[in-house]
Amino acid sequence: MFSWQTQPLTGLNFLGMVIGAVIVLMVVLVVVMYTIYFERKVIGWMQNRIGPNRVGPFGLLQSAADVFKLLLKEDIVPANADRLMFMIAPIIAFVPSFMVLAVIPYTAAHVFTAGLNVGVLYYIALSSISIVGIVLGGWASNNKYSLVGGLRSAAQMISYEIPLGLSILGVIMLSGSLNLNTIVAHQATDRFGWYIIPQIIGFVVFVIAAIAELNRTPFDLPEAESELVAGYFTEYTGFRFAFYMLSEYVYVFAIASLGTTLFLGGWEGPFLPSWLWFALKTSLFIFFLFWVRATMPRIRIDQLMSFAWKVLIPVALFNILLTGALSLIL
Amino acid sequence: MFFGLPITGETIAFFLLALIIIVSAVFMLSLTNVMHMAVSLVGVFLGVAGVFILLGADFVGLVQIMVYAGAITILMVFSLMLTHRGLGEHAVREVGAMRGTTTFAGIAVLVAIVLYAIRNAQWPGNTTALQPFHQSTVTLIANAIFQQYTVPFELVSAVLTVALVGSVVIARKEE
Repeated sequence: MFSWQTQPLTGLNFLGMVIGAVIVLMVVLVVVMYTIYFERKVIGWMQNRIGPNRVGPFGLLQSAADVFKLLLKEDIVPANADRLMFMIAPIIAFVPSFMVLAVIPYTAAHVFTAGLNVGVLYYIALSSISIVGIVLGGWASNNKYSLVGGLRSAAQMISYEIPLGLSILGVIMLSGSLNLNTIVAHQATDRFGWYIIPQIIGFVVFVIAAIAELNRTPFDLPEAESELVAGYFTEYTGFRFAFYMLSEYVYVFAIASLGTTLFLGGWEGPFLPSWLWFALKTSLFIFFLFWVRATMPRIRIDQLMSFAWKVLIPVALFNILLTGALSLIL
Repeated sequence: MFFGLPITGETIAFFLLALIIIVSAVFMLSLTNVMHMAVSLVGVFLGVAGVFILLGADFVGLVQIMVYAGAITILMVFSLMLTHRGLGEHAVREVGAMRGTTTFAGIAVLVAIVLYAIRNAQWPGNTTALQPFHQSTVTLIANAIFQQYTVPFELVSAVLTVALVGSVVIARKEE
């Protein structure tokens, strides 16, 4: 029932897929809740604060309480907002963020993973739809801060999607496949080990572009609390606000999983079970994102664009050239 | 059997996708707010991508999502946000009874002709039994682009680069 990668689509397999998707959704919701808790604790620790410690032991239930609060809050639609667009924009932003998780190989058994031949492309293609949701949310709010936030995020996410795609290209050239399962399997037998070693330039570009795609702190201009009062979701409250936050943190998990799969060997590793290796590497990646957030100041909007187009893209192109030349020579 | 079509999962998926495409296209034409039209166009793009995937062309389908539903839509929305006033009022013209009837008759004739042509077309054998691709579509496309049609592909990329640089030059002329 749960081995649909090798079997034809029947009613029972379809039921298995639905159950699998629900299980993944539940796991992801818990992961997101504790990612937020982890972020607040880590940043508190780095800034010499305590962080959440009131709700439950060590503040472990703080995120649960926050989610509960958001769900109970009144759902306000501003009077001058475009009502329909305002309501569907968070859904357009969230749905792709969950759909991209379908191709991530969590374990060696591929229980909840689609064996898609174009898995990498699937991730990049779907994540670009989320931008539409963000821009629409900013536009429909009919608020100048939201509009500026929406425009900024569209420009930024479109620009940084290019180096993100180009940095993955080196990995694809080494493994000869767009299928994430095959990429992980290749890393186990590759003579250079995990692709972070032969693709170190690609990995650096990937991490920078990933942080920009996530709108996280050195690149958080679309939401910039201090100048745009949270940008595209200024007008959102309660449930719909929760949807935007949820999609943001699901993307944190998704991009960390993608980075783990492409560069850190995915579920590969000795002694421990494969899912634990995957969880450890992904947690490390997420921790790195929070570390960067606590360390770096926000960069300026003009520097942001010229950095993407004049630094990251040439470096990523050079990496592709280098990978091609080296794989011909070696 | 439904109009000579066997009812399988693929047929149902096709009709659902066709419904999405047609409904989104009709919305695209009938809505008056430009931003709403852009969003309904996303529905058309996603539906077409679904049809590609249903036909086994997964690579083309995902490129369709990335380029059209992602990039082109953002470009449209972006330019609308910078130029259009957005929520401004739009004049809705009343369509006369005469014009409505003629439009309906025209569409009916068109549908009849297209249906007749499709029903009478000669297909090469039983199409449902055909397997469209014997290999991964990625491999097939790569072979076509980088072996069979290398020169035209490189020429097209050169033309696109020239167009890109040219547009930047024209845009910066005023300074």
